Order: sequence, then C-alpha cells, then structure tokens
Amino acid sequence: MRIEKCYFCSGPVYPGHGVMFVRNDCKSFRFCRSKCHKNFKKKRNPRKTRWTKAFRKASGKELTVDNSLEFEKRRNIPVKYNRELWDKTVEAMKRVEEIKRKRQAKFIMNRLKKGKVLEKEEAIQEVKKNIHLIKAPHAGKAKQMEDKMVQKLQEDIDMGDEDI
Amino acid sequence: HVIHNFHEKTDFIDITLSKTQRKTPTVIHKHYQIHRIRHFYMRKVKFTQQNYHDRLTQILTDFPKLDDIHPFYADLMNVLYDKDHYKLALGQINIAKNLIDNVAKDYVRLMKYGDSLYRCKQLKRAALGRMCTILKRQKSSLEYLEQVRQHLSRLPSIDPNTRTLLLCGYPNVGKSSFINKVTRADVDVQPYAFTTKSLFVGHMDYRYLRWQVVDTPGILDHPLEDRNTIEMQAITALAHLRAAVLYVMDLSEQCGHTLQEQLELFNNIRPLFANKPLIIVSNKCDVKKITELSEENQACDRLLAHRVDTKVKGKKVHDVLNRLHLAMPTKRDQKERPPFIPEGALMRRRAMEVDAPKRKLEKDLEMELGDDYILDLQKYWDLMNADEKNDKIPEVWEGHNIADYIDPDIMKKLEDLEKEEELKERAGEYDSDDESEDEEMQEIRVLAKQIREKKQLMVMESKEKDIHGPRMPRTATKVERKQLEKEMGELGLDMNDKDDSHYAQQGRRSRSIAKKRKREASAPPTSKTRSQSASRPPRDQSGLRDPKMARKAKKMMKNSQKGMNRQGKKGESDRHVFDLKPKHLLAGKRKSGNTDRR
Repeated sequence: MRIEKCYFCSGPVYPGHGVMFVRNDCKSFRFCRSKCHKNFKKKRNPRKTRWTKAFRKASGKELTVDNSLEFEKRRNIPVKYNRELWDKTVEAMKRVEEIKRKRQAKFIMNRLKKGKVLEKEEAIQEVKKNIHLIKAPHAGKAKQMEDKMVQKLQEDIDMGDEDI
Repeated sequence: HVIHNFHEKTDFIDITLSKTQRKTPTVIHKHYQIHRIRHFYMRKVKFTQQNYHDRLTQILTDFPKLDDIHPFYADLMNVLYDKDHYKLALGQINIAKNLIDNVAKDYVRLMKYGDSLYRCKQLKRAALGRMCTILKRQKSSLEYLEQVRQHLSRLPSIDPNTRTLLLCGYPNVGKSSFINKVTRADVDVQPYAFTTKSLFVGHMDYRYLRWQVVDTPGILDHPLEDRNTIEMQAITALAHLRAAVLYVMDLSEQCGHTLQEQLELFNNIRPLFANKPLIIVSNKCDVKKITELSEENQACDRLLAHRVDTKVKGKKVHDVLNRLHLAMPTKRDQKERPPFIPEGALMRRRAMEVDAPKRKLEKDLEMELGDDYILDLQKYWDLMNADEKNDKIPEVWEGHNIADYIDPDIMKKLEDLEKEEELKERAGEYDSDDESEDEEMQEIRVLAKQIREKKQLMVMESKEKDIHGPRMPRTATKVERKQLEKEMGELGLDMNDKDDSHYAQQGRRSRSIAKKRKREASAPPTSKTRSQSASRPPRDQSGLRDPKMARKAKKMMKNSQKGMNRQGKKGESDRHVFDLKPKHLLAGKRKSGNTDRR
C-alpha cells in the first residue's frame, strides 16, 4: 500500500480513492478527486492553477529547497527489511516532520512580514489624508486659544505684580 | 488461364452507362453553386471513364501475352488464332482505352469553363457519347477476342514440363484408341480420317508417377508450308514438348496409307525427334502379325533414364557441388578438449536416474494441513536476521509512506539535520519578531481604524439614500441646527452656547418669515408641499365625510392589498411569475390532487 501523489494538486491519494489515467505513451497520471481530473482534461497547467501545490512551489510561496525535504524521496532500489533500520526510520521520520513544519512555517512568516511594513505605511497615509473625517482641523484650537489667552493674562498680571 | 467473361460490345456500353446513372448522384438543380454543378458532371464523366478503363485493362491483362507463356502454348495459339491478328486485336483495345482516357481528360478540362447547368450537361453528354462511339468501333476486335477466349478455355491443360508421351503418326492408325485404352481419356474413335482435330490429354500412372499422354491429330506427308491448322497443332506439340515420342504405324494398312508412305513420313519428321527417346509402335498387329515389340513400359523407362541423365550432366549440379565444403579444424597441440557439460545438467541426469523426491513442496504441505493451511510466503524471505521474517512491517505513518524514508544512511542524515537546526536556532531565525511599536505608531493605527470605519459608514449612508425624484443640489435641503451641532460635536469642536452664532440667528430669521404664510390645518408646512395649491384636499381625504368613513375607506384599501401582499407582489401591476414550470406541478403522476396544487 502506498499513498500516491495527485498529479494535479499534489495532494495524497489514499488507496481506494481517485482515478488513474494511463496515456498512450505509457505515462500514468493519478488524481485524488474529480476536480483535479476535470482540470487535467481541460488541459490546465497545474503550475498556473493557483490553488495547487505545484503553483505555490513554482511561484515561491512555499519552501522548495531545504535539507529536511530531501528525506522523503521515492527510491527505486528496495532495501531489505531490517527491524532496527525500520524502527530508527520511524523515529527519524517524526523528528524530520517536526523540523520540516517549523521551517515551512518560518518561510511563510518571513514572506508575510513585508505585508506588515506595507500596512504601517498605509495607516500613516490614511491618517495624513483623511484625518478630517474624525477630527476637525481646528478642533481643540478654541480651547487652546483660550488657555493661551488665560496664560498670557496670567503672565501680564504677574508682570504687573512684579512691577508693583 | 482464367479469363473473366465479358459481354458483347452493346452490353458493355449499356452496362457502363447504367452503372454511371446508378452509382453517381442524380439530383442537380440550376440554382446550385456553379462549382457544385461542375463537380457533379465531372464526376459522371470521370466515373464512366474509370469504368471503361477498368474493364478494358482487365481484358488486356487477362489475355495471355504470347511472349510470356511457354513457347509450346505460344506456338499453339499462333497456329490456332494467328499471332498477328491476336496482337492486333489487343492493340486496338489498348488504343481505345487510351482514347477514352484522353476524351475524359479533355472534357473535364473543358468543364471548368462551363458557366451554367445546361453547358455542363451538354459537355457531359458529349464526353459520354464520344467514349461510347470509340467503343462501338471496337466491335470486331471484341468479337474476335470473345471467340479466342471461348476456345482458349477449352484447350486441354498440357503441362509442358512434366513427363509426357506423345503419340503421332498418320491419321486413323489407332492413336486415339491407344490413349483410350491406356488412360481414362474418352477420345472419339471413328473409321474416317481426322476424327481427332486437336490435341487431347490423358493421364496414367506408372511407377507411382503421373504421366501425360498426348494424342495428336494425324499428320499427312507434305512440306511444312502446306500444312493446315490441325496438322500444325501436331507439329507444334512435337516441336516443343520434351516427351517420349511414340510413332504409331499401321501394319495392316487399314488407315489407307502403305507402309512405305508411313516410313517416308517418319523420315520427314525425324528432325523433330531430336533429343527425344523414340519408340516405333506397330499397331493393329492382330490384323497382321509382325512382331516388333513396343510396350509402354519400355517407353517410360527410357524417358525416365533420359531425364535423369540430362539432369546429372547438367551444369546446375556442378554449381551446387562447388559450393559444398566440409571444414575440419586441425589440432594445434595434444591437449584434450572434451565438450563442456555443466554440473547441474549432470546432477539432473543422475537425479532422473535415481528418481528420488527433491524437497517437500508447498503442495504437499497443503495436503497435510488441509484446512489449517495458510499460504505464508514471508517464510521464504532472505533477510539478515532470520527471526524477523514474521514481523508486521509498517507502511504508512500520518500520511507519509515509510518506504520513502528508508535509507541506510538515514541516521547520519538526521544528525546533520539536527546540527543545522541547532545552528539556526542559535542564530535566532526562529525568534518571533513582534517589535513593540512606539506609542505614536499605535495611536496612528487607532486613528486609521476609526477613519476606515467612518468611511464605511458614509458609504452605507449614501447607499441608503432613497432618491426617486430629481436630484436636488445640497443647498436646496435645509440643514437642521441640531444635526449640525451633533456632527460638529463629533468632529471635536465645542458646540455649546452657540445661540448667538451666525447660523443659529439665520435659522431663526427664516423660521419667523415662514410663519407668516397661511397654512391649512390638515397639511403641516414642509418645503415640498409649498408648491401645491392650498385649496386641493389630499387624495386620501377627498370624498370622505367623516373619520368613520375615512377609516372604512382605509380598511377597504388594506383589504384589497392583502392578496397581493401575500403573493409578494409589488403592486397590482406586478404580473411577474417567478417559476413558469414549477417542478411539483409538472413532474410525477397524477396520484394525489390536481396540477394546480399538489
């Protein structure tokens, strides 16, 4: 039993699911569901269909080159069964999976960081242009002027006092 | 030779023309496009031409070419049908075929310039007519060929290469009787001369071989040029067939010719007997007894010996012998080099001889255990540790195939990976970087959010405005003081004690002016009704005496609207049907209710 990869979306095809198409040149294509199959029949390019993994990898939205990704590879030379090796492999798999997830998440976060900077810029621009919608330009100015006047008078009185 | 039957020329033409009519499309109108009309008629012309061509070629190929067949048959045909006449007839047919092709080509070319249905039709008529005339002119050739064909099919099938005995001699000496006796042939035997007018073949068996016996018509003694066709056939046979010749003589002179004459004939045709074993047959010896032996046996043996001799002495044998050569390798040293037999083969041979069972088969095991037997192929596996043979091997973990990860170096790789990971962590790649923003930035964000909300509200308000009439400029609508103060207050301005402000004063002024106008008690003063005439009552109060009547009127109005409202109609003019073919009314059988409501 093997979990295959869907040709179109690169999702897992579990046994008993999906469709396999074999072409006249002996190349076989597996599909996880009819959505992928129909898209294939419409001759759509998975590298240009936005929701597929192939697109995401081809347009740099996801981690492509990394050592943790080299572990899962289809090898055509079968290795004889050896209990030790299998145990160790299962343990290693779990650890590798952890690391892989961490790295993929980090990659995506880094990519999205640029958005934060843009957001900041946008907020500043927004405030600069449209502050008049919330606050009138001379909103506190009357009060300010009053306070100023009061202060001035106060100062004058003080000055006057001093003089006297 | 198999030649297909062909009919007289009238049939020929009729057949082809009727075929053209049947097999090509027949419907055409003059309003069709010209290329279609042209194509239609061209097709007919070409079809007719094709048919004639095919039939004539068939005739030409079916008749044998005199140069290609065995000279015996060539000569025979020449004798019977006259080579020149034959070749001429076939030549004429060939010419006719070419002429027909040319006619068709020309008319097809002309058809391209036909610009109406009538013209094209006339061209086609002309083409077909010409083709038929050409064929009509070949009438005589076709008749002749027909006769040739019929005669040719009746010729006896003489194989010129096999063992043959040829009977010749004067007419009426007994050749046909001989052949009747010896073979199963049934040739006419009559007392008059030239009963046999052509060659006849019979077959007999001798020494497990088939022999042909050929009976010829009698030959008279005159020079070659004077011979008629019948005699010429005999001569041809003599000349070309490599056979044993049996010259039959009539001892009793019952044929009407003396022995002397017969001997003379024999001497005359002797040159024809070159290279052929010759037997002189004395026939009718019961009538007159001179015993000169001639038995069939001798003739056959002689011929056989003759044939074998010629073959061995032929050059062909020498060619074959020259090519055969047996190669023997010479020994280079005294070492023994016996043939190599692998051990397995020797063992197998020994085992076969001993006949012992090799090992316990699965089948035997199955028989023993009966119902308990389980096919367990894992026990034959060749693993490093034999006790692991019965392990259940995991294949999949959390959506990943374990087989994809299996690698003898996996632990090393994992170590490297871990080291890398450590380095990365130390370098700080995995630290979450939420820089705390300074207060200013936070304030800005808050303000930006408020601005966005305000914008959304403004958009929604403008969408909710219900403008059904002409769009008035903003200054046409009066702004209420409360509204103004509220808005400005929200924007942060201080709006308390604003009674003395300009806008408030203006507001009071306009109100006091407006009060001076007379107003009807029923309608409150609004800017819209200012334009209406004061004397007209509003519609919902016109014609009603008192409130009771008004209430009743209102009730009636509401009642009439109930039906429309229940059906969700906009008004009495709304006739829109949302679902013209509702499924629940139209699908299914009429078991319950009618189709208005099911």
